[in-house]
Amino acid sequence: MVTITINGKAVQANEGEMLLAAIRRQGIDTPALCHHDAIEPCGSCRLCMVEITKKEWEGWTRSVTSCLYPVEPGLIVSTHTPQLLELRKTILELYLARSSQSEVIQKMAEDYGITHSSFPVIPDGDDCIMCYACTRICEELGCFAISAVDRGHDKKVSGPLRQPPPDCIGCLSCAHICPTGFIKWQDLDSTRTIWERQFELLSCRTCGKRTITRDFAEYLMKKRNLPAAYFELCDDCKRTETAKTMGKIVVAAQEVLK
Amino acid sequence: MMHDLSKIEEIIDRSPKEPGALIAVLQDIQREFHYLPCEALTATSRALGVPLSKVFSVSTFYNAFSLTPRGEKIIRICQGTACHIKGAKLVQEQIESNLGIKAGETTKDMKYTIEVVNCVGACAMAPVIIVNNKYHGKVRCDQTRKLLGIK
Repeated sequence: MVTITINGKAVQANEGEMLLAAIRRQGIDTPALCHHDAIEPCGSCRLCMVEITKKEWEGWTRSVTSCLYPVEPGLIVSTHTPQLLELRKTILELYLARSSQSEVIQKMAEDYGITHSSFPVIPDGDDCIMCYACTRICEELGCFAISAVDRGHDKKVSGPLRQPPPDCIGCLSCAHICPTGFIKWQDLDSTRTIWERQFELLSCRTCGKRTITRDFAEYLMKKRNLPAAYFELCDDCKRTETAKTMGKIVVAAQEVLK
Repeated sequence: MMHDLSKIEEIIDRSPKEPGALIAVLQDIQREFHYLPCEALTATSRALGVPLSKVFSVSTFYNAFSLTPRGEKIIRICQGTACHIKGAKLVQEQIESNLGIKAGETTKDMKYTIEVVNCVGACAMAPVIIVNNKYHGKVRCDQTRKLLGIK
């Protein structure tokens, strides 16, 4: 354990963890868009910036992204200094200029008292804030279906060769992790559409509910060495089946114990 | 467009088969074909064990790589501050009219490509154009035809 000071309060933090985790455990609201526990932090959204100092720094302070800064003994952290609030407001205004239609960003900006951006709003701006949470989770899963393409203003997330990604398995991880909900998908009957590709959805053998895509099931079968039967039921029916089996075992056990 | 695929294999063969060799391989392919053909990207991805999405990400990030075919002669026109003041814009317009294409384009006969760059670090020689890596300084509009090698 490491002792650090957050907003004047001495707290314990786990060795090796990042400041953001320690701050959030204290119930202190630190905004962040690109951060997600499922992926390695990358510090691209800059919203989780905090001010750090140490006794021996003789009054010097540094602003760092808390999601990327590991805890150190004796660290003194401030999360809401006037400078930090100003910094976050500027960042939020920039996001608002780029993604003026994003409800997530609008809400976040509102919390900081911002209703409109003082920067010129990009007319054809979209909700993608280039945090690469989608490409990072795709890499983490081992699919590498999508990546950042081009540079500067033209940069965007896309499949290789600007085509629908051939390695995509339609798992929706990218869509679920996207902080602004920019990545859209559609499930229609037995077809899922995402990244301009169509996937066949499997259905539960018992209740008929659509489960996951065939590509995703095949991917899991290979990666986790699961039998095809594993994907025949939906989660609810699987639970029911398990409960039934457990019930049978209990009854049998009671019989034996009688 | 058809390419000599054996050339691609030859380039890949002589490089180490590891992800770290990606940029070096792409550079060699770019040097050979003046751009990165689609087949080369997939072959590189397969040989080095780098996902195609990553290969594509790298090849679109660096200005040194082109995904569209480029001409035999690449004319880089510097539009840095010093060159700009010394009339690089006029030189550019002259070259564009000489070749009948705009910056970023390639002539139909695949002989010339015009590129605009932001500074080549030769400000004392402004305005500068580079024809296939040969630097030409203090370029005047009436010299462009000669420098391009056209009558």
